[in-house]
Amino acid sequence: MIAGLLYTAGRVAVPLLIQLGLDRGIRDGGPLLPWALAIAGAGLFSATFLGVRRYLAFRNARVIEARLRDRIFAHVQRLHFAFHDANATGELMSRGNTDLQHFQNFVTLVPLTFGNALVVVTVTVIMLILQPLLAVLALASLPFVNVLGRRFAQQLHPAVLRVQQESAQLATVVEESVSGVRVVKGFGSEPIQAAKLGIEADDVHDAALRSSAIRARYLPGIELLPSIGLIIVLGYGGHLVLDGRMTVGELVSFNLYVIMLIQPLRMLGMIVANGQRASAAGSRIAEVLDTAPAIVDPTKPIPLPERGALGRIELVDVDFDYHADAGGAGVLRGLSLTIEPGESVALVGPTGSGKSTVARLLPRFYDVDGGSVRLDGVDVSSVRRDELRRAVSIVFEETFLFSSSIRDNIAFADPDADHASVVRAATLAGADEFIRELPAGYDTEIGERGFSLSGGQRQRLSIARAILADPRVLVLDDATSAVDPTKEHEIRDALGEVMDRRTTIVIAHRPATIALADRVVLLDEGRIIAEGTHTDLLATNARYREVLAADRDAAEASPDGEVG
Amino acid sequence: MGWSFGHATDDDARLGLAGTAEILRRTMRDGRSHRRGAAIAIGSLVAWTSTTLAGPLLVRRGIDDGIIAGDRAQLNLSIALYVVVAIVSYVSFRFAILQLARVGEAFLREMRNRVFGTLLRQSMAFYDREKAGVLVSRMTSDVDSLQELIQFGLVMFTSASLLLVGTAVLLFLLSWQLMLVCLVAMPVVAVASVKFQRDSNRAYLLVRDRIGDTLSRFQEGISGVRVVQAFGREQVQSAEFAESNQDLYRTHMAAVRVQCWYLPIIEFAGAATTAVALGVGGWMVAEGRMTIGTVVAFILLLSSMFEPVQQLSQLFNMVQSAAASLNKLYTLIDEPVDIDDRPGAVEADGRAPIRISDVSFGYAGGSPVLTGVDLEISAGERVAFVGPTGAGKSTLAKLIARFYDPTAGSIRLGETDLRDVTVGSLRREVVVVPQEGYLFSGTVADNIRVADADASDLEVRSALERIGVLERFEALPDGLDTEVQERGSRLSAGEKQLVSLARAALADPSVLILDEATSSVDPGTEAVVERAMETLMEGRTVIAIAHRLSTSQRCDRVAVVADGRLAELGTHDDLVAAGGHYAELYDAWVRGLGDAA
Repeated sequence: MIAGLLYTAGRVAVPLLIQLGLDRGIRDGGPLLPWALAIAGAGLFSATFLGVRRYLAFRNARVIEARLRDRIFAHVQRLHFAFHDANATGELMSRGNTDLQHFQNFVTLVPLTFGNALVVVTVTVIMLILQPLLAVLALASLPFVNVLGRRFAQQLHPAVLRVQQESAQLATVVEESVSGVRVVKGFGSEPIQAAKLGIEADDVHDAALRSSAIRARYLPGIELLPSIGLIIVLGYGGHLVLDGRMTVGELVSFNLYVIMLIQPLRMLGMIVANGQRASAAGSRIAEVLDTAPAIVDPTKPIPLPERGALGRIELVDVDFDYHADAGGAGVLRGLSLTIEPGESVALVGPTGSGKSTVARLLPRFYDVDGGSVRLDGVDVSSVRRDELRRAVSIVFEETFLFSSSIRDNIAFADPDADHASVVRAATLAGADEFIRELPAGYDTEIGERGFSLSGGQRQRLSIARAILADPRVLVLDDATSAVDPTKEHEIRDALGEVMDRRTTIVIAHRPATIALADRVVLLDEGRIIAEGTHTDLLATNARYREVLAADRDAAEASPDGEVG
Repeated sequence: MGWSFGHATDDDARLGLAGTAEILRRTMRDGRSHRRGAAIAIGSLVAWTSTTLAGPLLVRRGIDDGIIAGDRAQLNLSIALYVVVAIVSYVSFRFAILQLARVGEAFLREMRNRVFGTLLRQSMAFYDREKAGVLVSRMTSDVDSLQELIQFGLVMFTSASLLLVGTAVLLFLLSWQLMLVCLVAMPVVAVASVKFQRDSNRAYLLVRDRIGDTLSRFQEGISGVRVVQAFGREQVQSAEFAESNQDLYRTHMAAVRVQCWYLPIIEFAGAATTAVALGVGGWMVAEGRMTIGTVVAFILLLSSMFEPVQQLSQLFNMVQSAAASLNKLYTLIDEPVDIDDRPGAVEADGRAPIRISDVSFGYAGGSPVLTGVDLEISAGERVAFVGPTGAGKSTLAKLIARFYDPTAGSIRLGETDLRDVTVGSLRREVVVVPQEGYLFSGTVADNIRVADADASDLEVRSALERIGVLERFEALPDGLDTEVQERGSRLSAGEKQLVSLARAALADPSVLILDEATSSVDPGTEAVVERAMETLMEGRTVIAIAHRLSTSQRCDRVAVVADGRLAELGTHDDLVAAGGHYAELYDAWVRGLGDAA
């Protein structure tokens, strides 16, 4: 603020000094040097504070931006699964990206706007003191710069967005043609894709022309308005000088002042449009930050028992639906299930039977709507989250690996794990062999910018990640679906070792994997409809056979997995 | 607005003067049809710039001839001229913006279509060589950087250049002595501007990198949030993110500092030059060598000279990066197409036998994949290609579709070498169905029309009906008009495969190359896919790249490709009896089944 004040003072002084130099120095033949030095001095002054003011304004805005981004990220990390189910990644991304950008822009503009407003007021006052009538006439057209500037920004923004949207659609066609080039070539559909692109290119073209038309409508007008002021200064002011009521120096300083006002007035127009965008963006950000995490630590946590046979799971009369508040019919309906320490249970059932849901209730990713879920006798909602999730490890069907080294990915649960335990976990997950063949072994970078792994390899890494966590309960949610069937037996053998003396829940389609479990629980429509060993159920239960039916076909792949 | 850097170029993409000149020449040549429009645009820009320069001159005229001389008529004349100049300025500026956009956008539209056309004409070998991301970025970030220049930069850049030159020339004409004195500050401004342009370019590149890093971490945090929570790593992740975010903040501030020293220098140079003009000009007036009006014109012109300097130093990065992008686009357009129609190429006859004689092939720069393969496939025959990963069975199939040309030997349809038929007719007759269904955005029907854009709704439906899956797709929320990528209506892997097969049914080719999917789908759909495939094969020559021995069992003959050679050829039963490589595979499969059940 103070920097803005000093900057304004320096800037506004220059035309006055020029005026005095012209009148007292040149016209009256007085000394010139002091005026010239004063102008240079005022310039140095305003230049210095121009830099300081900008630096402060930007630093302030960037600090706020960085802090907010940290907060959004940390908050989103803590938000419950149900929130993430309902919000697409892209949506949340734009909170931390474009929305934050709009906000930051505005925050930068605020102090700059203060300075601009100050320039406008000071200059107007000076002009009014020097020549009231001329000032009014010369400045009459200038407020319209502000009006036009505001309208321009308001209309241009959606037009520019439109161009971006059309460009994004065009990019989609290109992206799809390139990544689907085998399909395009396979069906000879090059002309079809070219025609699609032609349409998109027309759209971008038209949108860009519309945005240019808006520029053409406003920019020349915004340029013209100050010229009207300048003509009035020369016209009316010139006659005033001839009448001896004004000096040439004043005429020149008026001219300079009118020019000096253009930029601040345009910016003042812009800030309105900017402010509107920023407030919309700000409220979207606030909406995320105001969402309270639904799954929080209990106020009086109960520790899990540390001694005795560990890993006993009890689901008692559990009701659950992902959209319970919207009157969901119930994914789980009065489900009760007990799994003894060290036991391995396979959950089998058709899509939507609730088997994955059971797996997600154990680590308390969701809270039950009715009944209770207990681990070693303690209700999971009474246990501290990090303690509970150390005790229960889940391997999701959709693997997620982070962009870092293979070692870091396996040691995710415990970054301090030594190399030997990482290798041990990888070996148990049947991953050690392929990792050793990678360019940098365990140090190979994977993910977006690194080495890309096959679906089966990714799954094996996430199994290794869970094994390394050494939980008392291990949940494998369709965790071997992408593993090449011919390789699966290797993992199967290894899993036998992992499952030994550890409570394990396996969700799988392949009979061979299901057969690993001590007990099979058949689920349908959120209820348990049969229990027993794989062999028993296969022999006695028609529905079980039906669910597994034709898995034969899926298992009959030949011993090679060439893709492409 | 001074605070956005807009663009930057990597050092290796930056063009030298000669390179820039070449790009300019090429653009003049390629944009011949727009020459007239461009000339009009530049003409109106020159007119507009002139009016900007005329303002201070008219003030000078008004002061000297009107006010100082005490001639009201002369003063009024200057005012009248000023009014005319303002009107011309308005009209020419408006016209310049519109005209420049018209020419620029038309050029860009041509460019987009041309570049994409080149991309589509390229062979598979090209796509193996180039990274998909890089190809896409040609059509996105490179074209966008041109778009941005046309939308935001070109008018400003051209007018700022014209204004700078025009002002300098005018000041020289008004008084070259005073101008020389005023140039004192220029070396400082020039050095500062060049340094600023370089520093801001570098700073912007860093900022861009850091933004990319931070955003990809942000995205990783969100898409991996379930894993993060499952392992209780929320706080560690947030701390790691904060570190990367702090890095971004630091690079942002480095960029801000670059601006914060440059802008004050220009500001001060402006004031200092004005002081010099007033001081020295005043002395010249006292000496009677200059009029007051000229001093005033100097002061006014100088005040409008430093703005273009500042604009140019910022726009320079934008222009440079656009030139670099244009260069990349021309390079892509000039890339030779290796699989194209020969002069005198004839239509392909899909009803003829496929004759593979002594074919060898290796991917660019790689070791040979196929050596001396001989195989004849009669019309209407079904042949399965079987073999271990990397043995060459997919490659052989791709050669038949002319995705690549053999390095030696020939593949003929009947008597005609594939290289002598038109690519268009070959693609109609020989269709490759990658069974891992790839979906384009759009509806289910749009996706099937990939095989034939003009197919009527009825034809699309009948294609689905023929492979027995019409009802399944009609049951989707909006039937065949269901958007495939909308949340909630995503197709399953099996359904994607079915779409792929429906495309083939719509294309109705004589030769069908089926690239079997390796991933397993749910057992129910698997059976439907098998049935669809069976129907599709009827009445066509079929080459199946088989991953499942149940598929090869259904073919007339099996060709085992091992180590780039045709190792075994015969019926399924013969090969099993022969006890070779195929028999081994079969044996393993049978045992695997027993084990699984």
